[in-house]
Amino acid sequence: MGETMIQVKDLRVNFRAWAGTVQAVRGVNFELKKGETLAIVGESGSGKSVTTKAILGILPSNARITSGEILYNGKDLTKLKEKEFYDIRGKHISLVFQDPLSALNPIQKVGKQICEALKKNEHMSNGEAKKRAIALMEDVGIPEPETKFSQYPFQFSGGMRQRIVIAIALACNPEILICDEPTTALDVTIQSRILDKIKELKAEHDLSVIFITHDLGVVAGIADRVCVMYAGKIVEYGTVDDIFYEPAHPYTWALLSSMPDLDTKEKLFSIPGAPPNMMYPPKGDAFAPRNRYAMEIDFEQEPPFFKVSDTHYAATWLLHPKAPKVELPEVLKHRIQRMKEEREGA
Amino acid sequence: MSEKENRPILEVSNLCMDFYGTGARKSCVHAVDHVSFAVRKGETFGLVGESGCGKTTTGRCIIRLYQPTSGEMYYDGKPIHGKLTREKRKYITDHIAMVFQDPIASLNPRMTVQDIIGEGLKLRGVKDKEERHRIVKGLLVRVGLTPEHATRYPHEFSGGQRQRIGIARALAVNPGMIIADEPVSALDVSVQAQVINLLNELKEDLGLTILFIAHNLSVVKYFSDRIGVMYYGKLLEVADADQLFQRPAHPYTRALLSAVPQPDPYLERKRKKIIYDPSVHQYGPGNEPSYHTIEEGHILYCSDREFEELMKSQEGKKV
Amino acid sequence: MHKEEYTGLAPELMEIPEEKFRLVNLDMDESDEKFKGKPIGFLKDAFLRFSKNKVSMVALAGVLLVIFMAFAGPAMTPYGYNDQNPEEANLPPKMPGLEKLGILDGSRWLTSCRKDSLDEFPEGSILEIGTDVEEIRGVEVVSVKVDYYKYTGVEDDTYHYFGTDYLGRDLWTRLWRGTRISLLIGFLSAITNCIIGIIFGSIAGYYGGKVDMVMMRICEVINAIPQIVLVTLFILYFGSGLVSIVCALLVQNWVATATLIRSQFYRYKGREYVLAARSLGVTDRKLIFVHILPNAVGPVITRVMTAIPSAIFTESFLAFLGLGIKPPETSIGMLLADGQKVILTYPTQVLFPAIIISILMVCFNLMSNGLRDAFDPTLRGA
Repeated sequence: MGETMIQVKDLRVNFRAWAGTVQAVRGVNFELKKGETLAIVGESGSGKSVTTKAILGILPSNARITSGEILYNGKDLTKLKEKEFYDIRGKHISLVFQDPLSALNPIQKVGKQICEALKKNEHMSNGEAKKRAIALMEDVGIPEPETKFSQYPFQFSGGMRQRIVIAIALACNPEILICDEPTTALDVTIQSRILDKIKELKAEHDLSVIFITHDLGVVAGIADRVCVMYAGKIVEYGTVDDIFYEPAHPYTWALLSSMPDLDTKEKLFSIPGAPPNMMYPPKGDAFAPRNRYAMEIDFEQEPPFFKVSDTHYAATWLLHPKAPKVELPEVLKHRIQRMKEEREGA
Repeated sequence: MSEKENRPILEVSNLCMDFYGTGARKSCVHAVDHVSFAVRKGETFGLVGESGCGKTTTGRCIIRLYQPTSGEMYYDGKPIHGKLTREKRKYITDHIAMVFQDPIASLNPRMTVQDIIGEGLKLRGVKDKEERHRIVKGLLVRVGLTPEHATRYPHEFSGGQRQRIGIARALAVNPGMIIADEPVSALDVSVQAQVINLLNELKEDLGLTILFIAHNLSVVKYFSDRIGVMYYGKLLEVADADQLFQRPAHPYTRALLSAVPQPDPYLERKRKKIIYDPSVHQYGPGNEPSYHTIEEGHILYCSDREFEELMKSQEGKKV
Repeated sequence: MHKEEYTGLAPELMEIPEEKFRLVNLDMDESDEKFKGKPIGFLKDAFLRFSKNKVSMVALAGVLLVIFMAFAGPAMTPYGYNDQNPEEANLPPKMPGLEKLGILDGSRWLTSCRKDSLDEFPEGSILEIGTDVEEIRGVEVVSVKVDYYKYTGVEDDTYHYFGTDYLGRDLWTRLWRGTRISLLIGFLSAITNCIIGIIFGSIAGYYGGKVDMVMMRICEVINAIPQIVLVTLFILYFGSGLVSIVCALLVQNWVATATLIRSQFYRYKGREYVLAARSLGVTDRKLIFVHILPNAVGPVITRVMTAIPSAIFTESFLAFLGLGIKPPETSIGMLLADGQKVILTYPTQVLFPAIIISILMVCFNLMSNGLRDAFDPTLRGA
């Protein structure tokens, strides 16, 4: 792998809420390598969005980074002042939001919104900016960019709007693109086109991408490496093949086997209960109360990361040599088997 | 599927629902455009399509939350279209119940769980409070909650639990059919399975007929016996679930299937995506689309010419 | 499972005893955990939130105090609200207890008294003689602080807590009596306003379409007439009494409530739980009163709370214009109107009603702020 672009070390973020303090992110470590797509997967409230917001310094005012550092180019982003962030946001790291409608200014022409970023960061003249904006729009696959340049967001469909948002994000040639559930609000056919576009642009612009989603199907298509988050922590990380063909953490098993794919016939594996209240995170492994494979130690001590392979680590006591050997859930076992057969058959 | 009766319990033919805009242009949207299908007793009929394709509107027209512009609907042989008289409304609400999408918005925050679930019972003559609470507690246990939950308010529950309360409310009236409008799409991945499994169990135990409306093809495929694909207010293709996924006939269905993300990195890497372009049909005078039956239970909305071509190519494959 | 080499494992991890690695949850069923504590209903929840807001609790106490005094106040003096006594006209306030501290002791500065006539003052009535001796046309004049009660020859143990007006009526009694009337006007007009507004707005909002169109046009017509003109004409035509003032305030005020309710209905009638109830066959009346109204009621309660002080305020404004309640009955507005005529000579006659009306305004408004926060559904756990 290439050089490290961003390194997050033991990041912890707290939110002050009406009823107390919510520990949204509780010690997250990961690094983003040059040219890779890192997917962060988790349910709502798992802290995946908060982590990326911390990277961009756009946490809401009631949030506080209590410890940890985010290293980018030798600088610790958690210590930067708002003014210094201006040079980083958009220029070096940019963000694609979930909802393309609210990410665009409804009363400004889309062309102008793209130019704005160019003029601010690259100090381009109007003419130059327009030329570059049209090139960008063509780049992200918008037909007739000259006409569309002077149209308003409401004249675009959801997929086209998301392309505009991506164009704005790419305007200043960033090195890192953070996509926060960029396709959740879109339909499947448009989603697949946007994902292809992101892959294409990534190769073209030599981007490193952090891709946040809750949809494992999307992850399988786009990611090189995957981090699975639960209750403010990463519970398992590895390459996309590691996670999908050899998952090691019971939460990953549960996630994979709770959703049907097109060939699923068996009863789905459902996770009982609901995610923990992050105001009072449980002792030990946060997933233990919902975990069919929980052991006594899960309720007492937080599991460290166990190495599964060179690229694959999981934080579960099941990987401890003294732990009993457990079977994967039925659905998942069949699915992995099927996937392997398919692969060898092809 | 053989043990199921083949008699349709719900028949919808030429259902249309137009929404009129206000303002200078007075635009008219054909949200549902001449949709016809039949749901057999005891089966799960899945209705898929992208947002704005009219699948939710179809569901709401059937239970008469919307007044359809035209079309005929029959439940168990009796008409449920036309003017909504008191008797007709009672007939519809006694036999068809609905489960809604949003687990937060679909429960009245000012009512306790037992009032929410008991409302349908109260309207159906269970006046005795004790009796009602007894039934409600039974229903709560049935959907995997505990009787103690009866006196609680909705905001104390998690999303999956609330959706189960919504299902209990629908079950309370003892319906023959449930219209489930995106019952899992607002839930977290890890709790979706709870609700899907519950609906599956209920369907088997109570012999319910379910009209399942969703946009997630994997879920629809898993859950449904037959599937209808909608696109811009039109029902393009109806087929048995397996058949639809193995031999999709309509180009839009093919495009839709090719876009479903699969949790299999290898498959994803080699996948070829098909893009649907509605202009390939070249519908117009002399080439009007209508419903054609490809084979038993597989209906396609296309023009005569397209149908001929399709049949030819299929025969070619068989040889 | 994966049988990798765990060579890198820290020794303390290897020392964990074997029995810790027993599976405990294998036969877990899917029933959910029970809740702790008692169920909290909507009103209780709102009340809890309200009671946590210190400012609104103080405001509530203020309002309750004023209401209490409005009923108990007149009984605390021996005077009736209309007992006239010309000999005791325009007395300054005098309160037992406080008089020893030098405030509200029934004293008043008399200016420009002839210095040579000071001996003619009643015995013991002079408290202090000013130092500002002046000569006006050869006569030395001086200001004198007198015990006005002794000066006017009122009996010794007479106390008028807030003084008296130009007819010698006890202002304490009249003020609380007036407060009672003002509050009555406020509550009556707010309640009737709400009842009419809720019914009208509910129908317009629930049925929508043409019904709504016609009903809203009616509202607009009523709202198009300037309020002062309408109210003035109303009172001039029907005479000035409690009922006619309440009605005059009602003529236009209900329109705002109706519009508010209507927009709330538009917001809530499309909610999925309302659709769900409809799909169960719930009747229109029940939908309005069981499903929509209780959810829409938050802003309405806030609106009632702001309607009360604004009604009181409008009433006093009418009194100022001479359209107030019929004498000898009084209200805060009437007292203010009477008091402002003598504001330079007897400022206390306007001061006390002004204080009370200010307390009412501030407290009601703070309270409605607190209620709005308490009812705000966005703060509720979702």
